[in-house]
Amino acid sequence: MGKLKTHRMKPLLSKTTKPFVLFLLIVLTISIPVYYYVIDVIWQDELDEHNEIVAEKTAHELNRLNISGEDLQKNIALWNQIQPGTNIEKITSKKIPKDSIFTEEKYKPFSADPTIERYRSLKKVVFIKNSPYLFTIETNIEETESTIMIISFITFFFFTLIVIGLVILNRRLSKIIWAPFNDTLNQLKIFNLNNQSKINFIKTDTKEFEELNESLRRLIDHSISVFKGQKEFTENASHELQTPLAIIKNKLDILLQSKDLTGQHYEIVEEINMALSRSSRINKNLLLLAKIENSQFDIVEIYIDEQVKHSISNLEEHIGQKNITLSTDILENVKSRGNISLTDVLINNLLINAIRHTSIAGNIKIELSKEYFRISNSGIEGLNPDLIFKRFSRFSNDNNGSGLGLAIIREICRFQNWEITYTFENDNHTFSVKF
Amino acid sequence: MKILIVEDELDLSKSIAEYLSEENYLCEFASTYVQALEKINTYQYDCIILDIMLPDGNGLHILEELKRQHKQDGVIIVSAKNSVDDRVTGLQSGADDYLTKPFHLSELMARVFSIIRRKQFDNSNTIKNNELQIDLLSKTVTINGRSIMLTKKEFDLLIFFIGNKNKVISKITLAEHLSGDFADMLDNHDFVYAHVKNLKKKLYDAGCDHYLKTVYGTGYKWES
Repeated sequence: MGKLKTHRMKPLLSKTTKPFVLFLLIVLTISIPVYYYVIDVIWQDELDEHNEIVAEKTAHELNRLNISGEDLQKNIALWNQIQPGTNIEKITSKKIPKDSIFTEEKYKPFSADPTIERYRSLKKVVFIKNSPYLFTIETNIEETESTIMIISFITFFFFTLIVIGLVILNRRLSKIIWAPFNDTLNQLKIFNLNNQSKINFIKTDTKEFEELNESLRRLIDHSISVFKGQKEFTENASHELQTPLAIIKNKLDILLQSKDLTGQHYEIVEEINMALSRSSRINKNLLLLAKIENSQFDIVEIYIDEQVKHSISNLEEHIGQKNITLSTDILENVKSRGNISLTDVLINNLLINAIRHTSIAGNIKIELSKEYFRISNSGIEGLNPDLIFKRFSRFSNDNNGSGLGLAIIREICRFQNWEITYTFENDNHTFSVKF
Repeated sequence: MKILIVEDELDLSKSIAEYLSEENYLCEFASTYVQALEKINTYQYDCIILDIMLPDGNGLHILEELKRQHKQDGVIIVSAKNSVDDRVTGLQSGADDYLTKPFHLSELMARVFSIIRRKQFDNSNTIKNNELQIDLLSKTVTINGRSIMLTKKEFDLLIFFIGNKNKVISKITLAEHLSGDFADMLDNHDFVYAHVKNLKKKLYDAGCDHYLKTVYGTGYKWES
């Protein structure tokens, strides 16, 4: 199982938060001109109404004054002087202009600070004492920039508030909301079919998590039952086959005790014995392969140097028997992770393989370092590296092997995450196992 | 010597009994868990050959029952399963030995012999065969009082022969006994001949009688 590349992985929450924040930013940014537009329209409407009222009221009041035309002119002049932002002017031309409403920007006329101010103006024709007057009124209105700035500032303030709130809420909620999910995840991480331990997911009221747990529960139950079935099949197959083999073997042992046995019979019994051993080995090896493929072995820390030495001492006499020169280069304290019995099988198979395929007075070399275990033996012709680890592909005329030895070695390596390679160089077959 | 064979395959139990009975072993049979329980409740056996996969129950429970009743019967588990776990469980439950099917009857007989010796003679476990004396605890051999030095394999072979008195033992059987699992992977069984030759020489040189006979060219038989 590969390790998660954590530096590229992000928690789900940050994945949803980021687009959400981005969306929020876009919406709020769009809202700035919209707000501005709406506020400005309302404001202008109000100001227009206000200007209209002022114009009408002024005209009305002036009409109500019971004064002469001359006094009226004086009053209007005075009005124009003291009432800022309004102006009443007699229309002299024949043509009476239309009313107009407009916005204008200009410097404040009475201030030392020459800032530009925006005004909403109304030019309206009013009749005072039946004469037409052009009534001009201008009311200060907030400038576009400052309106936008204020809206932007407020929007940005709320945006920040929402983001901060979101992060804090997310952090708080995720602990609570994702708790059942994290629990499920942790249980799955430590789950191992080999242990046959049942998984108990905690109850959750989140629909999705409950669905996930339910599906996992079903999947795991199914896997366990399939696994159990396979294991049972493996064991049953073993039992069923071993028993008839045992019967044959025992009958041969009894036959050997017969008083009427001749030398020729004895030879036949031995040959049957030999074939019987082979078939029971093939059976055992097939079961071993099935078991490795079902991962029915525990992986622990093992001392490979000890196992190599033990295997050599077990097989030393067979090496001597063929006058094979054995050279070893074994490092002490070589540790790795694996299964003890499988590693034993691996080392023994490789060594026996080498012994069997080395001719009389040949050489075998065994090397063990921190990284690899290597076994070479002298030979004449290289083997096809593509076929060599296949089941039942035979390369020699001797039929004693089960045809599964190297396939088992490869499966063991795969199971323990080791790497096996075969090379043929300088008249030497070499099998290298990299830990 | 009373032996109980708990085995549901009648062919197997018959063969075992036939092989063992020639050497003063009295065999009784149980082919089910219930029968086996009845037998162990009623009688005392020197050795029980126990197949743990029985049609009506797990043979391991028989071991528990023996332990509960404080019985001293020696037990050899005979199983088709060859997993380390089962072996460990079996031995932890109080079995004295564990043999995987298929096995040679000579192998079984040698183990029955060893277990009975071990159970009956706790402290001074010596086998006497006329001038030959074997101390099983210290693993020493003396002939006419003079000790001889045997290698581990030679000692092992000697015990195997003594445990299979008057039986013909073939070369392959010996090869399997000596090298266990790898015997059939080795194309050459001459190492058996070498060990037997050395053993014979050491015994004869020390004045031991020629009990160990070669039969049919490559087989052996301990006659005494």
